[in-house]
Amino acid sequence: MTGDTLSPLTREYFDRLAHGGCFPEGLPVVSGEAGREETGTRVRFHLLIAGAVVAEARFQAYGCPHTLAVASWLAGELAGRRRENLLPGTPEDWARRFEVPVEKFGRLLVIEDALRDCVAKWPPDTPLPGKAS
Amino acid sequence: MTATHAGRPVYLDNAATTAVDPRVAAVMAAYLTEEGVYGNPSSTAHAFGREAARCIEVARAEVAALMSAEPGEIVFTSGATEASNLAILGTARANADRRRHLVTARTEHRATLDPMRRLEKEGFAVTWLTPDREGRLDARDVRAALRPDTLLVSIMHVNNETGVVQDVAAIGAVCRAAGVLFHCDLAQGVGKLPTAFAGLIDFGSFTAHKFHGPKGIGALYVAAAARPWLAPIMFGGGQERGLRSGTLATHQIAGFGRACALVRVEAGSDAVRMEALRAALWRSLADLPDVHLNSPLEGGSPAILNVSFEGVEGESLVSALPEIAISTGSACSSATAEPSYVLRALGRSAELAQSSLRFSLGRFTSETDIARAGEAVKHAVTRLRSVAP
Repeated sequence: MTGDTLSPLTREYFDRLAHGGCFPEGLPVVSGEAGREETGTRVRFHLLIAGAVVAEARFQAYGCPHTLAVASWLAGELAGRRRENLLPGTPEDWARRFEVPVEKFGRLLVIEDALRDCVAKWPPDTPLPGKAS
Repeated sequence: MTATHAGRPVYLDNAATTAVDPRVAAVMAAYLTEEGVYGNPSSTAHAFGREAARCIEVARAEVAALMSAEPGEIVFTSGATEASNLAILGTARANADRRRHLVTARTEHRATLDPMRRLEKEGFAVTWLTPDREGRLDARDVRAALRPDTLLVSIMHVNNETGVVQDVAAIGAVCRAAGVLFHCDLAQGVGKLPTAFAGLIDFGSFTAHKFHGPKGIGALYVAAAARPWLAPIMFGGGQERGLRSGTLATHQIAGFGRACALVRVEAGSDAVRMEALRAALWRSLADLPDVHLNSPLEGGSPAILNVSFEGVEGESLVSALPEIAISTGSACSSATAEPSYVLRALGRSAELAQSSLRFSLGRFTSETDIARAGEAVKHAVTRLRSVAP
């Protein structure tokens, strides 16, 4: 039996769902989200901030396998990024990398919106409360 | 008997199609070679054709017996979709100058919905009934929808997504009393529930591949009294008493007949076994929190169990279960997911509708299959919920 509908990379990240979940309360975390379950996709990122960079990122997502796989990969890519360059590429880049069907491109835009929401909620020059562990 | 083979997924998508029973395949194979019955059944001028025609009539009698019908009331088609198209379009277009109103339900299969929508574009009026939250239609609602110009009511026997069973006898009685034709999509009922509906319905669509027969062959039951109301929708050689032109597929029809004969003998025991397996699967899945049953545990199809899992999107759940062949109710092929229209019509939220799985059992489903499926689903749901917002 062959013929996975997912690309090998999508399958790899979907099967692992690395960086899934959230951080304990009290840590300096910026969270951003987008989408709604009713429309099939909801994505949330949590960024643990150390100084001016992301120390670690985690994601939560409700959606199709491509949504979960891309969100999982992005969460792993966010460490070390600053507010000004938080997004690792564009939805077009992610679509190519994960061979996302064109009819699902809108879901990647939801992921992008969640990251942009993180940027919007990350105060540019204000130190966040708490300390990164 | 089990169809589970080492390394292959557990097959729980029997409402989509079933494995051909080896006894059916053996009958069909005997028709295909030079030693077989390969003549054109319309070529009755020679022995090859006459033998093929005789075999067709033997099979036709087997198919008719399933419905308690006369052989002459069976019209062979390519499947249930074509049969439903013939019943709906064929009656509407043949009687357009007399009656132009039809009645159906929002939860029908697309083989009914799409011809109805087509007729709306052609100027017919269609009343779309909404079942109750359990998916059942009240025959009184059907009666209330009838108008003086109503030609046809089309209501399915067993819903293909939820397994809900409609009261065919009551709806048929309403139609009969009003002098309205009644078409019933029987595709999911045959082989799982009694379907001796001759006398209760005017037209009945069904197909062999839903009950361990071959794909590509089905039938429309046309009650003798309803025949004058029906006109063909395709034209050619005038086969099937002018209602369905095209060379009859002898081997397919022979397999269809054999599958029907097996159903007559084994459907009762198959149904008892499937009912027990379905109940076991539900007991296993109900261990999980926040699961919602979309199928009736009593009085529904013994072969279909539809369940919604809160917090888990259907396509992801299917993708997380490569060891199980299963269907999701949601169509996850667009930027905005389209949840099952059947579940939405029953009042389920969009989220629950797109979080649904349909498990459908067949003759070859085993206890081992069910145990494997239950454990795999629980593991997958728990894993996906661990990353849910």
